[in-house]
Amino acid sequence: MNASRNAILIAVGVFLYLPIAILAVFSFNASPLMAFPLSGFTWDWYRHLADNREFQAGFVTSFLIAQPVGVMSAGLGLMAALALTSSRLRWRLGFIALLLVPFLAPRTVLSIAQAMMISRLGLDRGPVVLIIAQTIVIIPFTAALLSSVLMRLDARLEEAARDLGATPWESFRLVVLPQIQSTLVAAYSIGVILSLGDLTIATFLSGRVQPLSLIVASQFLRQLSPDLNAIQVVMLALTAVIVAITEIYGWRRRRRRERLLEIA
Amino acid sequence: MRLLPTKPFSRASLAAPVAALIGLGAVVPMAMFLVISVYSVDFDSYTLQPNFTMASWREVWTHASYWILIGKTLNNGLLAVVMTAIVGYPLALALSRLPKSAKGAALVILLTPLYTGEIVRVYAWRLVLGQDGLVNALLMFAHVISEPLRFLLFSPFATHLALFYDDLPFMALALWVAVERVDSRLIEAARDLGCRPTTAFRLVILPLTGPGLAAGTFMVFALAGGEALAPNLLGGTTGATPMTMIDNLFGTAFDWPTASALALTLLLVLLFAAFLLSGLALVLSGGLRPLRRSFA
Repeated sequence: MNASRNAILIAVGVFLYLPIAILAVFSFNASPLMAFPLSGFTWDWYRHLADNREFQAGFVTSFLIAQPVGVMSAGLGLMAALALTSSRLRWRLGFIALLLVPFLAPRTVLSIAQAMMISRLGLDRGPVVLIIAQTIVIIPFTAALLSSVLMRLDARLEEAARDLGATPWESFRLVVLPQIQSTLVAAYSIGVILSLGDLTIATFLSGRVQPLSLIVASQFLRQLSPDLNAIQVVMLALTAVIVAITEIYGWRRRRRRERLLEIA
Repeated sequence: MRLLPTKPFSRASLAAPVAALIGLGAVVPMAMFLVISVYSVDFDSYTLQPNFTMASWREVWTHASYWILIGKTLNNGLLAVVMTAIVGYPLALALSRLPKSAKGAALVILLTPLYTGEIVRVYAWRLVLGQDGLVNALLMFAHVISEPLRFLLFSPFATHLALFYDDLPFMALALWVAVERVDSRLIEAARDLGCRPTTAFRLVILPLTGPGLAAGTFMVFALAGGEALAPNLLGGTTGATPMTMIDNLFGTAFDWPTASALALTLLLVLLFAAFLLSGLALVLSGGLRPLRRSFA
């Protein structure tokens, strides 16, 4: 039983990570042609990145856009999750359906609709519009993550705080927030990561601003090059680091809470 | 969803700003398709003329080329649903049998590929499936083939594989959550009474996880059917989708009314098909029976 279970898990794991691993392997391959057999190890393509001003500017742009997107998707996701887990929410199904709209609508279609509206309103496309549009698409992810955690909290703790005279804000800040802090960090990370990886929304709404994904995509359409490989691997590594830091942070907080519970 | 906080303040009122943002930022723009679809374009001055004409709707509804494209995305969605469900069930069952301590790590491993950028994934597939890519190199090395396979990249095969890859985690997650809720004693009882694993799956697991399968079907169908990037960049000449068509009409051709009519048609067809298909998944899995019983 366990053998077949592990075989399935390993096969799917290999499938999910194989394309990413190949990308990484080629970024260290000495030949500029992306073909097997491999021809030796080199750091050259990463060294090229240090001279590539266009990539660097794009990276800074992407990074600066990703920060507000991360904060806003965590904050608005939290608001949505608090509402979803409240027993007094009316039109619950309607609200859930609304949250699913930006997740399920074809992203190209949604972005074109937004571009049309912006233009009809006489507004400019640019970083502000891009940040808002990305946040809208990411809210469903963060709301789902945060409500899954809020649902499992012991509601009696918050009720006790309220009974003892805490205002809704105080009971949230002192009772709920400490319990979901690591999940909020995770929601912020997801916002940053999905913003960095976005291409479709940026294609239609970034205006004159050029995030890294757009620069990479325009070069990629012309030809594959090891420099592109290297920058993609850098972005992947960054993603992996963000995921790892978030996971370790959450794990340490959980462990501390368990230890406190043992003492109590 | 109260619009104004009443005393005492309720968490439910926090839904209002989120609903307003999504409403104004996502629903209203797509509702504007309806308005723009009846406008016409003055191609001398490249301006929209706010008048009422059904010309763009006639254009979309009478030309087979648009419907062929829409049919293609339905096919993309359908194939993605079938493939992710076939792999998703054994995967979900395997995940549910992991010790509790390993499940958190398994979740991270399952979800992390979703975080890789859109362009990174497309790029990686070109390296795996290309003429000098990994698959061809391995097959040539093993002397299975003497010439590189050309149908791997820029083909429907590449599109379907990429969509399967993109959406497998969503189906697996929906099925995993559903499988976790199945009382494992029911499966053991079925096995003790002499059921083969496949029979136990068909009679116990499939009906009890029907709602999960329906939810996964809805999600995967909508996501795979609405995906434009992978078919466009990996599907080669066969990779045209209504989404790229809408993009061309909107951007290059400046024919916003036709773009809007096509976009609305696509949205309605996708939504209708997603409901139909997930309903079908619920009925075929036998998932409706336990549901009905719990309501009766």
